[in-house]
Amino acid sequence: MSDVVIVGYGPAAQYLVERLRHEGYGGEITVIDADGRAGYHRALLTSVLGGELEPEAITVPRAGPGVRLRPGVMVERIDTRRRLVHTRTTGTGTPERGTLGYGHLVLATGARPRVPAIPGLRAATGELASGVTTLRTLDDCLRVRGERVALLGAGVLGVESALALARRGCRVSLVHRHPYPMNRQLDPAAGELLADRLRECGIELLADRQAVAYRDGHLVLDGGTRVPAAFLVLCTGVVPVTDPARQAGLATRGGVLVDDRLRTSDPHISALGDCAEHASGMPAQLGPARDQAASLAAVLAGRHARYRGSRVLTRLKAREVDVACLGAGTAAVDPVAVPGCGAGGELVTLADRARRRYASMTLRDDRVAGAVLLGLPRAIATVTQLYDDRRPVPSDRLGVLLGTGTADTESTVDLPDDAVVCRCSVVTKRALIEAWHEGARTVPELAEATRATSGCGSCTDEVRRICEAQQGTDVAVARPPAGSAQQRHAGV
Amino acid sequence: MARTVVVVGHGMVGHRLAEEISSRDRDGTWRTVLLTDEARPAYDRVTLSSYLHGSSADELRLAGERFSANPNVEVRRRTRVAGIDRDACRVITEGGERIGYDALVLATGARPIVPPVAGAGAGGCFVYRTLDDLEAIRQTATPGGAGVVVGGGLLGLEAANALRILGMRVSVVERAPWLLPLQVDRRGGALLRRLVAERGIEAHCGTELAAIEAGDDGRVRGVVTTAGECLPAELVIFSVGVSPRDELARAAGLAVAEGGGILVDDRCRTGDPRIWAVGDCAAVNGRCYPLVAPGYRMAETVAQQLLGDRGRAFPGADTSTRLKMLGVEVASFGDAHAETDGAVELSYATEGSYAKLVLGPDTRTLLGGVLAGDASAYPVLHPLVGHELPAQPERLLASR
Repeated sequence: MSDVVIVGYGPAAQYLVERLRHEGYGGEITVIDADGRAGYHRALLTSVLGGELEPEAITVPRAGPGVRLRPGVMVERIDTRRRLVHTRTTGTGTPERGTLGYGHLVLATGARPRVPAIPGLRAATGELASGVTTLRTLDDCLRVRGERVALLGAGVLGVESALALARRGCRVSLVHRHPYPMNRQLDPAAGELLADRLRECGIELLADRQAVAYRDGHLVLDGGTRVPAAFLVLCTGVVPVTDPARQAGLATRGGVLVDDRLRTSDPHISALGDCAEHASGMPAQLGPARDQAASLAAVLAGRHARYRGSRVLTRLKAREVDVACLGAGTAAVDPVAVPGCGAGGELVTLADRARRRYASMTLRDDRVAGAVLLGLPRAIATVTQLYDDRRPVPSDRLGVLLGTGTADTESTVDLPDDAVVCRCSVVTKRALIEAWHEGARTVPELAEATRATSGCGSCTDEVRRICEAQQGTDVAVARPPAGSAQQRHAGV
Repeated sequence: MARTVVVVGHGMVGHRLAEEISSRDRDGTWRTVLLTDEARPAYDRVTLSSYLHGSSADELRLAGERFSANPNVEVRRRTRVAGIDRDACRVITEGGERIGYDALVLATGARPIVPPVAGAGAGGCFVYRTLDDLEAIRQTATPGGAGVVVGGGLLGLEAANALRILGMRVSVVERAPWLLPLQVDRRGGALLRRLVAERGIEAHCGTELAAIEAGDDGRVRGVVTTAGECLPAELVIFSVGVSPRDELARAAGLAVAEGGGILVDDRCRTGDPRIWAVGDCAAVNGRCYPLVAPGYRMAETVAQQLLGDRGRAFPGADTSTRLKMLGVEVASFGDAHAETDGAVELSYATEGSYAKLVLGPDTRTLLGGVLAGDASAYPVLHPLVGHELPAQPERLLASR
């Protein structure tokens, strides 16, 4: 019997453990994880793929005090009446079966890659054919080899992976069935600029094309084009893993349905992360998983907490191009074309084709409701903060987008302590300040201590600024009073 | 003794030329003879539809007729010019009269194009250019009936407005993907389409006129588009552009441009040192500018030359436009389509307004823009074209 049993040890579960500890949760925590190896930062997988990071560099400490981790164990069945999990081991050899009682069960089973029904992708056994892989785990990343790689699907993962592979010297073909990459996040203008940039990076982008077969080391497209693909990487989306929940009779739709307390239809079972479906949607991203973990940890610690959806941010992790999409993006919300898409709504766009810069930002009551930003790193930083803090956007919209605005729009140093500075590794400003006080006095040292900057690297300037702001504040009293940023803005 | 300048055509540009000469020529060195085949003196073609709103023909007459009391200006209506005798420096009227000139300015204008489709000659089909056209349209229009305007440019929308004033249900067929394609961009066009739809005008864009369907009585019944749609219509107005009236010049052996229009240089001079051409009939360096503002610039340069000045060269077309139709405001100025190398486009859109500014690569110099729904910033922005913005674009757009 364990007070809390968590199924799965991906990012959502890792956050939950961290937050439970933060909440001072005193009960016993057991984590069972079908994967037998060490955990890792999934956000940094493309850095391994690109050859910038060694696999060891992205592993996470498996568990802290008060957490019993049982790797290589999977759930066979949940007995909701007796509150028992029936388990078995996943390694080679005869599986060992067992049971584990729970006070509260948390499903963090994540999602599995979607494999499209294209002839040749699977061997007769049902396994992926030789030379074909999905891209979800560290093992998947390490499997990719060869000089001639084709990727199927130019969503966020496909684009990041294509750039990472091109960086490491592969000849990359990227096949996408929509007219431009990242079509779920970007509007057509931004999508075209991203496509241009990918081609500049040496990637052969085949947009608006369907793959119809994989055979003889080639991906065959509609129209008969044969794309050489000694190795084929599938980046074709994910499917929530809901099998244990379904078997237990929990309510599911796309994912396991959860309420504002992250509870499933069984009050003793919660779900979070990629396997969970909240009324606000299923973003399948790390940010919402982190928010859900915070809410669930508070609930489990007996506090009154509610999860009401997340501010969704998609940031492409690639040094070649800065792309960010806030909220649902702006593709379908041009008030000019779609009246009623938002009362009081405003859409501001900036298009600079020659310099590959583009922004579109929807505002409601002067606050950012969604945005697509490309090639504008300073605007990405500024607009993201305005979005996260729900602060009004200064009237100098052009200045905000070009990064030429007044100091009011640049307040990194005045970020609230719990603001996430490094989104790849989810490192808060507080964590950076704590690391600084524990002796990490430079950006590389902070990276070592917190992993901030080790993903896409786009937060490096912000981390440096925070680092510099700490110089001479060794006595913690010298920090600016809370709320000073807000006061300064109130006067604008 | 005063020299004689004969102006053939008394449209808006011919009128402007006479005005310019009249106001600059204080010593009375020129006698101006305006010849027009219309029965009326020059009137404001740009706001023709206000005639249907109850403005009389007199009210549409162009203001500033200082010269009407000027004994040096003579307007001769119903006088069609049949030919030019360049050797003798005389024009010959249809009535056989010969009028000598020291200078001749051709301001013969343009005639509307009737699309070469089957049925275009059916009863109930009109062009939209003169007060006479308008009078005929008024007599044919029936309140509640269906009218179709072929062409969604400036004049087409003006014609649509006219039909609406006459109580008709109006559709517009435009070949380009949106209305006012020369003036506004795709998104400005999208807003425009919605705003005119709110005022009862239905736009069919991205499709062309295929045929006019006529009934047994020889009158129009409907309009067939290349998209295969058949729009019922008891009245059709063609507004698909104009062709320059250059016959006189051709017959007189003056050069004409490849696409039509009397070929002139940037000071509106033809190959004959005594003959100029201005307005819709002129092809400046080979290109026609069938809009009133460029026509006025041409009239000005000719007036300057007649009065001994070298004359300012025609600056090229400033096709900037601001119009308000059915309460819908639209403006377009400078490089509205961002064709300049390295141009940066900045746009602001709400449900009822769209503003796009085209900036130079420095993101500070204003090159042009499009305003739709609310064009009140036009007077501030238009003069700033070519200059650095003196304030945040948001402030300028909010100014009026």
